[in-house]
Amino acid sequence: MLVTAWAFYGLGSLAEGRLSWTVFTDPYIHRILGFSLKQAALSATIAVLLALPVARALYYLPELVGKSTFLALCLLCFVLPTLVLITGLVALLGSSGWLTPYLGKSWSLYGMQGILLAHLFLNSPFAIRAFYLQLQALPASSWLLARQLKLSSWQQWTLLEWPQLRARLLTVWVFIFVLCFNSFAVVLSLGGGPQATTLEVAIYQALKYDFNIPEALSLAWLQLLIAGSLYLLMTRFGSSGWLSADTAKLQFLPIPPRWQARLHQLSYYLAWVVLLLPLLALIPNLLQINAERFSKLTIMKPLLTTLSLGVTAAGLAVLLALLILSPIRKARLEYQTRKQWLLDGLANHHLVMPAMVLSVGLYVWCLKHLNLETWGMAFVVLVNTLGLVPFAIQQLKPRLFQFDDQYQHLAQQLKLNTLIYWHVLLPWLARDLQAAFLLCLLLAMGDVAIFSIFANDSWISLPWLIYSYAGSYRIVEASVLSFLFLLICAVLVFWLEKIKNQ
Amino acid sequence: MKKSYFLSLLTLLSLGSVQAADKPVLTVYTYDSFVTEWGSGPKLEAAFEKICNCDLKLVAVEDGVSILNRLKVEGDKAKADVILGIDDGLMEEARATKLIAEHGQTLDKLSANLKWEDKDFLPYDYGYFAFIYDSSKIAKPVSSLKELVESDAKIIYQDPRTSTPGQGLMLWMKAVYGEQTTPAWQQLAKHTVTVTKGWWEAYSMFLEGGADYVLSYNTSPAYHVISDQKEQYKAALFSEGHVAQVELAALLKASQQPELGKQFLSFLISPEAQGIIPVTNWMLPVVDGVELPPVFSQLIQPQRIGFTPTEIAEKRADWIKEWRSAASK
Repeated sequence: MLVTAWAFYGLGSLAEGRLSWTVFTDPYIHRILGFSLKQAALSATIAVLLALPVARALYYLPELVGKSTFLALCLLCFVLPTLVLITGLVALLGSSGWLTPYLGKSWSLYGMQGILLAHLFLNSPFAIRAFYLQLQALPASSWLLARQLKLSSWQQWTLLEWPQLRARLLTVWVFIFVLCFNSFAVVLSLGGGPQATTLEVAIYQALKYDFNIPEALSLAWLQLLIAGSLYLLMTRFGSSGWLSADTAKLQFLPIPPRWQARLHQLSYYLAWVVLLLPLLALIPNLLQINAERFSKLTIMKPLLTTLSLGVTAAGLAVLLALLILSPIRKARLEYQTRKQWLLDGLANHHLVMPAMVLSVGLYVWCLKHLNLETWGMAFVVLVNTLGLVPFAIQQLKPRLFQFDDQYQHLAQQLKLNTLIYWHVLLPWLARDLQAAFLLCLLLAMGDVAIFSIFANDSWISLPWLIYSYAGSYRIVEASVLSFLFLLICAVLVFWLEKIKNQ
Repeated sequence: MKKSYFLSLLTLLSLGSVQAADKPVLTVYTYDSFVTEWGSGPKLEAAFEKICNCDLKLVAVEDGVSILNRLKVEGDKAKADVILGIDDGLMEEARATKLIAEHGQTLDKLSANLKWEDKDFLPYDYGYFAFIYDSSKIAKPVSSLKELVESDAKIIYQDPRTSTPGQGLMLWMKAVYGEQTTPAWQQLAKHTVTVTKGWWEAYSMFLEGGADYVLSYNTSPAYHVISDQKEQYKAALFSEGHVAQVELAALLKASQQPELGKQFLSFLISPEAQGIIPVTNWMLPVVDGVELPPVFSQLIQPQRIGFTPTEIAEKRADWIKEWRSAASK
């Protein structure tokens, strides 16, 4: 919270009456605002529409081959560093991509189509998981009843599935909308010029290209206003349990008619192919690297930078989450609902605050007061940590509440001192702590937006290096680094899934 | 010109680490392709370190405009003694930061046709912006900017906010179209593949076959002939004339090594350095009598059009707004 205030102080201080009001009347800004909203709405709508049939296929055909791997892949796609995906897309669909010759002469990856493709790839899997888990929550008794009443497939959909999915549909749509509205790396790499720029990228450009601080500040406020109100809107509709384990419990599912089963299979396998293609497109490039080019690649230093950045930020985020949750738990135990709600809001407020806005605020403050060359890295960690805290809280909260319900009385009766208390609590939490840490680590490692603001040339992260290569069309090098990064993320994701499913 | 085969950032890491403790260090901010192993940087560094008894440290800051932005960010806390790589289009804006010291060089060595008289900024090479095409694919290239704008040829150019060629195209469009620049930008946007942040990104995408024309320099074909033994890349000569770019170096007031800085500036326009720059940075020398490979005489020699640095400084912000407004439609 303090840091937010700090960032706003930064945002405010340099603006001192210089907040550029012309920004709000500039037709260019109107257009990028329009474009930001349009691409986010399109991305969210298409992602949701594509996810539905796949989620239904997963639900209706419990015997699908490789289903748990597919669910893990979905998670991987969602937390995948965007730059890895972008490299894959360029290798697949860029001007000399593998599929480009079949796409006709007028095809270009740059602009709206590229942005949409990348957003769909990143977000549809998330929607698939969310919808699938929601369908799983349908009680078996409903299906028994449906069987007795001999409901048709259409009736099953209107009476059972749709009411179950409806609320979730909207939450997922808004969530994807917010993510795409705040999308940075995708737009920066695949936008291809001013006709496809989002507000987030415009902030970066105002700051780094034009060195126009008033404009950057005004845009940051605008971004905060829109993303913030959208997020508040979303939290009103409840949260989405997309990360929960696949419960795979016994169901009295109707056996779909043969043609429907085929259709389900088709959409399932199609989803496999589509999700794997951009990742597999990296592989042929790996073969093209020769010893000379490979020896020129600096891998270790950026890799270590990224890992240490991620580990520090994730560790701090989990720690902070634990600390922040203490007063919330206390309020809950004392039935102070209002206080709990307020503290919850405070803890999660970084979800409303786009990382770019926070970074710009702090950056502007730093310009005046600190040497960014020495402190830049610290700020990258700081801002990343803050952005991750809500995710860590989301992971830890249910288990901690469970602990409170089951053992708090006992703990009080035994008059455990703090040390012993934590000694009991931590092993109980071990799995959840690991899961929270892994999730935060995955998200932190992929960060480009925050890094791009504070970065200087004396240290460089893996995603940023991939961005430089992909941007200058050195696809082979970008592919090698991306593939390495992908492997690391895949290991982490499967580890995470394992913990979750234990 | 910014010709390189490897990304600055990597080279930078290796360049930054070698430092002799006892020698004075002269730090130079420049653009990324200058410091790459194929660029002018390493060769100039070796030659200069032989005579200066110092350590020359070249720091890459993306593209030309970014050098100016970095200067503005750091103000008098800048770690550099010398900046190298802004151009005449950015000169007045750089001067307005009040961070630039006089270069203290006598200018009679410079070619008379440059007509250079500035006391703060020293030219080290120049060239003309031009669109490059592959003559094995395009038999009959466009012969004017208007023809290019009205064509449907796929083009790639650079962002005028970050890249000096991008800014050059902006001046070029303004010089040719005047009040009618907005519709011209809109027409150009219809067949623009992408607008990149820097020169190198655009040029490598072009070489990968990503476009018919790419914005670069009239000297670019010389690189392909000498380094690649490839004859097919040509610069299109436009009948309206071309905008020139004079690349400049300057000493910073905050420098702790003003004498060493001046020695470096003087070295830049020495026959030795002027012989290195054309075949590594792929631009034209600023002094007469430099012996150049024969391909240089086959380059197009355009008529020069454009604006004075003062005009550019006054209008640059407005023109950029006009561009981003028009190109975003």
